[in-house]
Amino acid sequence: MEEDNITETLRTENLEIDLLITAIKGKIGYDLTGYARASIKRRIQQLVIDENVNCISDLIPKLLYSRQCQSNFINRLTINVSELFRHPISLLRLRESVLPYLESFPRRDIWIAGCATGEEAYSMAILLEEAGLLNNTQIHATDINTEVLKQAKTGILTKGLNKEDAARYQASGGTSSLSKYFSTAYNKQKLSQNLLDHISFSHHNIIQDQVFCSAQLVMCRNVMIYFDLKTQNRALTLFNNSLVQNGYLVIGEKESLVNSPLSSLLTTIDEPAKIYQRKSSEHV
Amino acid sequence: MSDYQVFIGGSAGSIAPVITILSSLPADFNLTITIVIHSGTDSKVSISEILANHSALTVIEIIDKEQFNPNTVYVAPSGYHLYVENKHHFSLSVDRKEYYSRPAINVTFSSAAEAFGEYCIAILLSGANEDGAEGLLKVKRHGGITIAQSPKSSQVDIMPQSAIDNRAANKILSPKEIISLLLEYNDLA
Repeated sequence: MEEDNITETLRTENLEIDLLITAIKGKIGYDLTGYARASIKRRIQQLVIDENVNCISDLIPKLLYSRQCQSNFINRLTINVSELFRHPISLLRLRESVLPYLESFPRRDIWIAGCATGEEAYSMAILLEEAGLLNNTQIHATDINTEVLKQAKTGILTKGLNKEDAARYQASGGTSSLSKYFSTAYNKQKLSQNLLDHISFSHHNIIQDQVFCSAQLVMCRNVMIYFDLKTQNRALTLFNNSLVQNGYLVIGEKESLVNSPLSSLLTTIDEPAKIYQRKSSEHV
Repeated sequence: MSDYQVFIGGSAGSIAPVITILSSLPADFNLTITIVIHSGTDSKVSISEILANHSALTVIEIIDKEQFNPNTVYVAPSGYHLYVENKHHFSLSVDRKEYYSRPAINVTFSSAAEAFGEYCIAILLSGANEDGAEGLLKVKRHGGITIAQSPKSSQVDIMPQSAIDNRAANKILSPKEIISLLLEYNDLA
């Protein structure tokens, strides 16, 4: 008896999640169907508790009729966690193996897919500045969430610079003082304007949209972990198609190409650093 | 490969019983074991490296979408929540911390309960906060087997005691008794 109830509850919850996802897609245009189910379910269940409602489907009228709930739901259901110089070992290898390659191009395009509040793009601008490559480089930073993009565009850090940021910067091979790239006013730190000028922030949805730009380097870290396998493969195909021949792809520390058919199109440059290179067409 | 899956959670004082348990299991132990231990971010050696030195089984630190295999011990990486996505693979996330922890034991136990139901064996060991009790209760409600380390055998008893207090634990066992139970299930496989 108990077990039947549990099975029935699971079925009902799954139906409610499907309905909520349909409502979000219809009302706001965000397609969450390709998200990994277990984690989106837990985020939805936490929203049920925080909104003080009885069940998942009670979230639907709130979503449909309250603008404030719409942006709150999106911020809670999509993840916008980032930090400066995340996975520094990867950035160290990037300085050593990838930046010299970028130097061979007169003009360079770099795509940061899923930039959240901007830290990933800011870090990239600093790396390029230190390698003397920032001029003639355009960093295209994109995200699905227009609110975080607004924040990212300001160049202002959501959290003040701290010791951990400085330590990661040094671990990535940085030898200056990280604070020299930021100005401080009213206790907030803002990326120097000459660095910020090289970053464009745009709306782009990895799940629904087409290739954003042609790039020598695509970086997408800790975004694909939220997708199911099918959607991960779609994203990887998109990234591969946007890369020039011999262009580089960098993914997150705990992400992998192992389960992807795309792995045959990419050469592993450094597995722990999660750096891969698109094969030139004669090798495919 | 056995239908049963073992999930072990713990915090302060749980590394020692995990080592005791793993070092007693033979190389042909058939149940997949998944371990979630709260970790300080400052520790230089990863938990999976420590455990690999004490186990006849293959010890793997999980990457996103890692698939379940028999004769393997899976360890949640520090800084990520670990979900059981379905019967075939895990997934990771950096959702906000629960009980100041990422990985949080409730996240893994709850998703394991939904994926494996009555074939889920969940074990909550020594620890200094109440993470895990809610997840253990969920495993119990889904018909799984739930075990709390006996408070008197626990270095810090807050975590197992909170699971006992909310009646999440089918059994209250010492590490030695946990080993015997796991070996019994291995013989069933």
